[in-house]
Amino acid sequence: MEKLNKLTAKKTGPTIPAIPSVERRMFLRSFGIASATTLALLSSCSQDNLVAPGKTLGRSGARTGASVLPDGSIDLGSGDIGISNLAYTLDQLEVAFYMTAVEKTSGLSELDRKVLVELHDHEVVHREFFKTLLGDNAIPMLDFDFSGIDFNQRNAVFDAAQKFEDVGVGAFNGTGPLIQDAEILKIAGKMVSVEARHATLARHMLQPRTYFSLGHELIDDKGLDHHLTPEQVLAKAQRYIKQKISAVNLPKM
Amino acid sequence: MNLFNILSDLEGVNAEASERFLFSRRKLLRTTSVAALATPAFFAATVNKAFAADADVVEVLNFALMLEYLEAEFYKKGTMMSNLIPQSDKQVFMKIAEHEKQHVEFLKSQLGDKAKPMPEFDFTAKGMFPDPFTNYPIFLTLSQSFEDLGVRAYKGQAPKLKDDKAVLLAALKIHSVEARHAAEIRLVRQLRVWASEQETGGVPAVVYKGENNIRHHDAIDLVSLSDSHLYQMSGSDVEMVVRESFDEPLTKEEVLSIAGPFIKTMMP
Repeated sequence: MEKLNKLTAKKTGPTIPAIPSVERRMFLRSFGIASATTLALLSSCSQDNLVAPGKTLGRSGARTGASVLPDGSIDLGSGDIGISNLAYTLDQLEVAFYMTAVEKTSGLSELDRKVLVELHDHEVVHREFFKTLLGDNAIPMLDFDFSGIDFNQRNAVFDAAQKFEDVGVGAFNGTGPLIQDAEILKIAGKMVSVEARHATLARHMLQPRTYFSLGHELIDDKGLDHHLTPEQVLAKAQRYIKQKISAVNLPKM
Repeated sequence: MNLFNILSDLEGVNAEASERFLFSRRKLLRTTSVAALATPAFFAATVNKAFAADADVVEVLNFALMLEYLEAEFYKKGTMMSNLIPQSDKQVFMKIAEHEKQHVEFLKSQLGDKAKPMPEFDFTAKGMFPDPFTNYPIFLTLSQSFEDLGVRAYKGQAPKLKDDKAVLLAALKIHSVEARHAAEIRLVRQLRVWASEQETGGVPAVVYKGENNIRHHDAIDLVSLSDSHLYQMSGSDVEMVVRESFDEPLTKEEVLSIAGPFIKTMMP
């Protein structure tokens, strides 16, 4: 596998928790709705939902973007921006986790490594999507702490992977109905089933062809998958994120 | 014309309809200039939209129910055959059969007396798959077809449920279960878990038509954005990564044209 041998050669940045500095964004202090670039990008998929609520609801100047609060914590913002920032948070977390897993896990088989690389790469695509969609409304690059995960145990790594992926599934399911913009809802739908495929793959690496690999403990007696509120998502993810994240301004059911 | 009289007449007839009406009227008011409100055309548009929303949801749920009937019946038949499913895969198919039966019951409970009855199925699809319940590879191929098709079908309907949060949430929660099924079946078949036009596993190509899409937003070129961050090498691999990072929807018409050969008698 020539490709796999080149893995470490391609990534030259330091390992987690530090994200390679080339990817580090400036820590913007506030993100208003006045940003021209964001307006241009977001309005290209919806003229009136994401961008205009401040105007049409007569609340011009209301904050919708993300912001860094005085105590250093990060508010995800409100509306579709807040929901997109929540997804962006999870995608950042997953990319950082898989990067650490690929570089640090001992005793990986060639197949193990291939799976972790593929999961990493998909999450990069999802992360880049939200980062670009959000533009100046995006939260900064976050710092992570995966010290609670035992990277000496291959099974612990796949167990963490299936948990992160299932937080992703629950987050997309729970926030989908809160999305205003039909285009963003469509794209979220295209991603959530891939997250569910990821979760299945990670579970399959632990217990193939079982109830567990199908995620049975998350599925209720109506055959419905789990869903998480933004608060529940953060309750599960916060311990791995160094900055304090707030979803207080996200919409609610 | 007195708009408010008509509104209160409607309220008298059907409180729920009026609520829907008011909801969609509020939405329209947000985006429409005041002058337009006075026109009869505007009023007619509002009324039609208000009632269509309800009919849309019923139509979507009955479409979903038809697909769940198909899956539930397929797995019921398959799991009843004593020599079809090897021991190693029994857990997976027992659980999937249970989920699909639960989906049927759930959708019927949501539709009440609007639920359509189960049609008769022909799992050979007019002879295309002659022995689905005695030939395990064929059974697996059909299972993968139905699951990946189900994922695409729910995905295509989700935007139509946007105005009914509770129904949309339920649909999303079925959608991700179908994706788990599809992924596990693909793994059992030793295929990559991602739906793609490149790896159909013997499933009719039309089930994966359009899965190669790499453009999800006009202003976002994911290939160039992602390239430098990926572990996998550049070139055609980057496109593969991008296309496998998203599942694509199908319209109801596309799904029905694929599922059609399996349905002997369409629901009235």
